[in-house]
Amino acid sequence: MSIEHFLDNSISSWMAGVGKHSDIVMSTRIRLARNLNGYRFPLAFTEDEAHKIDQSVSATLLDASDELQMQFSSIHIKDVSELSRQVLVEKHLISPKLANSPMTGSVLLSNDESVSVMVNEEDHIRIQCLFPGLQIQEAYAQADVLDRVLDKELSYAFDEQFGYLTSCPTNTGTGLRASVMMHLPALTMTKQMNRIVTIISRLGMVVRGIYGEGSEALGNVYQVSNQTTLGKSEEDILADLQSITEQIIQKEREARDALLKHSANTLEDRLYRSLGTLSFARIMATDEAARCLSDVRLGIDIGLIEDVDVSILNECMVFMQPGFLQKYAGTSLNTSERDMFRAKLLRERLQKEEKQKTKGEESE
Amino acid sequence: MICENCKQRPAKVTVTQVHNGEHFERHYCEVCANSLHPFYVEYKQDPLSLHQLLSNWFSQTEQQPMQQKQQKNTIACDECGWSIQRFLDEGKFGCANCYNSFRPQLPNVFKRLHNGNMKHIGKAPGALGEKIAIKKRIEAIRSQMKDAIDTESFEEAAKLRDEARDLESQLSTGGDQTDVN
Ligand SMILES: [Zn+2]
Ligand SMILES: [Zn+2]
Repeated sequence: MSIEHFLDNSISSWMAGVGKHSDIVMSTRIRLARNLNGYRFPLAFTEDEAHKIDQSVSATLLDASDELQMQFSSIHIKDVSELSRQVLVEKHLISPKLANSPMTGSVLLSNDESVSVMVNEEDHIRIQCLFPGLQIQEAYAQADVLDRVLDKELSYAFDEQFGYLTSCPTNTGTGLRASVMMHLPALTMTKQMNRIVTIISRLGMVVRGIYGEGSEALGNVYQVSNQTTLGKSEEDILADLQSITEQIIQKEREARDALLKHSANTLEDRLYRSLGTLSFARIMATDEAARCLSDVRLGIDIGLIEDVDVSILNECMVFMQPGFLQKYAGTSLNTSERDMFRAKLLRERLQKEEKQKTKGEESE
Repeated sequence: MICENCKQRPAKVTVTQVHNGEHFERHYCEVCANSLHPFYVEYKQDPLSLHQLLSNWFSQTEQQPMQQKQQKNTIACDECGWSIQRFLDEGKFGCANCYNSFRPQLPNVFKRLHNGNMKHIGKAPGALGEKIAIKKRIEAIRSQMKDAIDTESFEEAAKLRDEARDLESQLSTGGDQTDVN
């Protein structure tokens, strides 16, 4: 499949708005870091080493497509334009580090974009599985299958004491980073996030804004992930993340109920204003767009706003980024041009919903 | 360094921008980085804090005689040539063999990064990994067996015992065939 398939469409399978607790958990991601024996890590290796690693990892995965029942497209980063790389970054299919690497590297993508294997990022191999909703076990099972396929053909760098050897000591051991991306508007509005961030950090987990840092996460989208990778088994890491995620979901639901109970009118006014802004504004900066999208998504989730698709937040957060906007515009845009084009795309996205709605009513 | 945008807060985030094929590095505070490049910044690891952590650990050993400290600083990996000082500066290893070269120093580093943990207890690759997986299954069966005995389901317990025995024999013959080194 050509790279255009992955660039043209802002929608990936994880954005579908399905899966368990999908009104709060947007997606689940598993990442495994692995390195091969006999080659230095990407920070220290030569172009010759990079090339050999790329060839053997890519060949192994492409050969295993039957066994995995998964077709991969191999994309060599060096063959891809700067703008296209940026789009792949904005879709979370590759990292900025791989996009900017001067060495040979590639990404192997499954057609539905749920699996991406980066070769020669910070480590030789980064297996990533991205599932919609809360599916920690399912996503890990998928990553584990890929890991076993690679393990059969290649020789992993491993040490009895330290486990899987990785470039960064924060990944040593299991090399596993499990994370869930959550939409937590009510906890943010009720100013509870700081407290939650503090508590969670004491449990060996981290909370970050996935589109931003700290407690002021853009679009109220947060990522919760494990920090400890050494001295804890994969099962325990996943179980702990699952239990913390469920507790946060519970707290978010309680906060939503409390808002509805005590300030329904104010909430309703705010959410509809945001819908109005998204539908009619002519200039839209990223932070305002993110805030409005979060409001509309909350409105959908609590049953206030109908006829708008739940995937709106997932999808728009991706396509309103600079790389995507310029890809759609077909030209480079400065900041104020971007703000206008962003407003236009968001209006069109909502009008599309509106048209489908009236069409549906006519046919009834 | 001061943030290039507000010129007030300290710069904590480096954003690499690409313009007409040229790379530019911009240094912003966290506030400005969020508003200017909310999506582009890679926050996954904070190299600053990791670096700080590592150097803090290193300065704690400063009480040692100067000579010994310098010697420690110059230990180098014979595979990639990185010194332990470079490892501490970058916060990254140069190759897998660095773990061997710096082994005595590492437990202290890991203890700080991983909640006091120093030893891997998870999955393992290859034949070793299969062995560990079998051992885990045996443990699980044993605990099921205990439960079965407690509830006086002796038939079930006997079945589980046989299952565990099968796995155990698999473990010993498997160990002979594939020598784990
Ligand atoms: Zn600033
Ligand atoms: Zn080394």
